[in-house]
Amino acid sequence: MPNFFDLNVHAYPETDVPVEDMLRVAKRYGYAGIAITNNDDISNGNNVSNYIFRGVEIRTNSVSELKRKIKLYYGKVSLLAVHGGSEKINKAALKDFRVDILAHPCGEKGEGELSHVLVRYAAENGVAIDFNLNALIQSKRSDRARILRKMREIFKIVRKYKAMPIITSNAHSVYDLRAPREMIALVSLFGMQKAEAVHALSDIPKDVLEKKWKKEREVEII
Amino acid sequence: MKNRERKRYLVFEVISEREINKRELLKEIWGSVYSLYGDVGASESEIWLIGYEKKKDGDTGIDVSEGMGILRCAAYKVEEVRAALAYIHSVNEARVGIGVVGISGTIKGATRLTNPALSKSKS
Repeated sequence: MPNFFDLNVHAYPETDVPVEDMLRVAKRYGYAGIAITNNDDISNGNNVSNYIFRGVEIRTNSVSELKRKIKLYYGKVSLLAVHGGSEKINKAALKDFRVDILAHPCGEKGEGELSHVLVRYAAENGVAIDFNLNALIQSKRSDRARILRKMREIFKIVRKYKAMPIITSNAHSVYDLRAPREMIALVSLFGMQKAEAVHALSDIPKDVLEKKWKKEREVEII
Repeated sequence: MKNRERKRYLVFEVISEREINKRELLKEIWGSVYSLYGDVGASESEIWLIGYEKKKDGDTGIDVSEGMGILRCAAYKVEEVRAALAYIHSVNEARVGIGVVGISGTIKGATRLTNPALSKSKS
């Protein structure tokens, strides 16, 4: 069985759930590791064990602030994510090779914009595009339909331009985590094949953590 | 011709904020299946909750209420039902998380999955 990773989990101090509890439930579900990505906060820093990766999720509305924060956090964390949504933020994040993950590009309510031009930037710069299943799980009826449509749209483009999709739970509590097999069943609802989903849950997150894509890019420049 | 459709028995675990009973859970599962697949899909999936019980001694090691149950569904609808279970985020406003532990073709096999001690002694 491949090693599964969940690269977008929010824990204490942003929520009131301790990191250890999150990890315990995640391991029980069969994850090999999780990454804690609290919004604009790296205080919960020390890599507590081999299973917890330290990350940050930058959340802002202005491009200049985003750039400033990328500069601030780059190199200090093992995972740099940007909270996407509006088109200008998505664009700025995908154009920057220092960013590892664009988290929820469809926004939390399916309002985000991601065109094929932007996805091409993502493929070039090695920024993984996140499909956030918590948005699906927590929404109802028409909202859910809108998010599913958006994700289907984005995934089509991602597949076409060979960008890297990853699947995350964006969990804020232990009840938001789902086992890998359940995640795979959920993403099949917007057209992701099983093999692609397994890849997006295991190999791609591993490569993202090891910065494999960035290294390849550096080699190309030389 | 086969007279009976093939079934699968899904063994699932529930972690929840507070203790939930079988009736509440069943209602939520039906609600989830209906909202995802509609009346036709729900009728095809042939869902039946065989049993649900609260675990006496939880083994997550954290402060949550845990339960375990068996759900029957049509063999070719397993992935759909799995997605419907994963979609459930709350039961009567108590937050829950459901995970499938194992799948079996018979009730006997499923009961063995619910009780690991039993399966060890058998094998």
